[in-house]
Amino acid sequence: MKMLRMMAATTALATALVPLALSAQDLTEVRMINPLPRSTNFFPLVVGEALGYFEEEGVKVDLLPSDTSIPYVAFLQNGQADLAMLDPFETINALDAGAEINTVFEVMQNAPEGIGVPAGSSVQSMADLVGTTVGLVSDRDRAFLQAAMAAEGVSIDDVKTVVLGEAGPTLAAAMRDGNVSAIAGAAPDWIVLIANGIDTRLITPQSLLASPANTFSMAVSEIEAKREAVTGFLRAWCKGMHVATVNRDAVAEMLRQTVPEEWEIEEAGQLYLDMSIGMNVSVTEQCGQPQADVWTAIQPRMVESGGIAAARDVATFLNDSFIAAINDFDRAEVEAEAAAWFEANK
Amino acid sequence: MAMSGRIAPSQANPAQPGASLRLRRLANHLGLFLVLLVLWETGSRLGWLDPLFYPRPSAILRSFWLVYFENANIWWHLYVSLGLVLAGFTAGSILGVGLGAVVGLNPLVRRYLQPYVIVLEATPRIAVAPLLIAALGFGAQSKIAIIMLVCFFAPFINTLSGVMNVPAEKLELFRSLRATKWQTLRKLVLPDAVPVIMAGERLALTAALSGVLVAEFIQRDQGIGSLILVYTRNLNMASAFACIFTLTIIGFGIFKGMELLDRWIAFWKHQDGRERVSAARARAHAEEA
Repeated sequence: MKMLRMMAATTALATALVPLALSAQDLTEVRMINPLPRSTNFFPLVVGEALGYFEEEGVKVDLLPSDTSIPYVAFLQNGQADLAMLDPFETINALDAGAEINTVFEVMQNAPEGIGVPAGSSVQSMADLVGTTVGLVSDRDRAFLQAAMAAEGVSIDDVKTVVLGEAGPTLAAAMRDGNVSAIAGAAPDWIVLIANGIDTRLITPQSLLASPANTFSMAVSEIEAKREAVTGFLRAWCKGMHVATVNRDAVAEMLRQTVPEEWEIEEAGQLYLDMSIGMNVSVTEQCGQPQADVWTAIQPRMVESGGIAAARDVATFLNDSFIAAINDFDRAEVEAEAAAWFEANK
Repeated sequence: MAMSGRIAPSQANPAQPGASLRLRRLANHLGLFLVLLVLWETGSRLGWLDPLFYPRPSAILRSFWLVYFENANIWWHLYVSLGLVLAGFTAGSILGVGLGAVVGLNPLVRRYLQPYVIVLEATPRIAVAPLLIAALGFGAQSKIAIIMLVCFFAPFINTLSGVMNVPAEKLELFRSLRATKWQTLRKLVLPDAVPVIMAGERLALTAALSGVLVAEFIQRDQGIGSLILVYTRNLNMASAFACIFTLTIIGFGIFKGMELLDRWIAFWKHQDGRERVSAARARAHAEEA
């Protein structure tokens, strides 16, 4: 009898698991390497997952969040990642190094990077930093500092740089105690400082603000093989982005539930979300559209700053072949689904 | 040469303190701990301690409640990290003990392999970690490899030392009794080396906890290391401390657990163990009779 019961239980379990296994097999994995785990910073992913858009597209997202010491582009080349989140400097330098990649989507069209100083500092421009020590949140920020200095006619060689690391306390102490005259970092860094009462003022040159950052790149050799899955991934991402423009409260609730660690201090979470919406929502008419004119305009500055060796023809690496398909979705339906989710979960 | 940490396996057995003495000592420890907490809390409230680096103990306590019960977001990360610790420790131990035994028992292998192992130990793991991830790919396998590398050396060096330091007169006795190599290994070398190996294992398991943090700081998908990074990046130091203290408590528990395991496996090195096994054997004999 005992044996019979055990067999029945095993059969029931197997029957229950088979559809699950089958549905898991139907999903195509899209592996994306970026600097952060699921976060308010990249809310379209969280929203897309909460509303089931990735699954709907037949996509299973495999996020590979890694320290910036990892050469992201190498993972595109060796096939361990399908999409890599790169900034313009990394993109051009990877192309110069012979990596055959295309930029297929602009995740953030306004540079999240910036140069911050304490609110009460006498520093008003990049030129005022000459002869001082500037902190870098990570090595990645060196290129941006270079560009910012060059944009105002000074050189990165005119300042001493020190990598402070991403730890909040180190950045906050450096900013508060004046150990460095400025910090080159990204928007989340400033938000954290401001939310914790350390007022910060940005002196980023205006010309650098309209710059694509955090783009998705793909290995050219994988584009056709992965087109369908990546299209689904990007469409789900765009739907998530769209929700933020129409139902901010729903997005906040999804984030509270998915990344509660970023929302323990509600005010900080709200600030973070506001900033992230500003960066993530595309300024182009089409979601994620690569902006050839902007890439053409920023490259001479990047060359001047020494961040890249030479400007490249944007036609050789910007690839907008995904854009029409990923923007082809019913916005009203997305809005209704987000509203229904919020109603059920608030 | 053996790495035994601060607490070496007890060769002699000091008299066990009485229950009341143990209670009094425990009360003293708790009292001291409470005084430190009160001083910390007072220092924070009076502004003597920088809140950026030292959040109030009361705030940390609240964060414990948040991460364990209200948000309950620590459980999954803990589960992932402890799974990795266990896998990396097991792999590192098997490799360390196995290689240590082979190197210790075979002079030729020792001559050629030992320098490489020492060079490997001298190489900073944090520098190798990104390369390991690049080579082995994302996911658990590269994290386990990092942990394995971190905790491999102590079992290796302790096994090597244990195997090589078997008293010559005992070896001579086994030779004179015409024991085979396998009998010598099984009945003399391994039992003699076990306490030293266990000391290495104890260090390895606590090192595995550091290893998992290194791995998760680089590959930030999940785990307690990635959670600590999120909290410190967001300047939520009370919750970061709650995670760090969780690891401290687990590390302490692991260390004590390994001590108990040591007493159970190498029972002949401890009086209470000898008494326990003697009593069990006496009972078994009595039942047979």
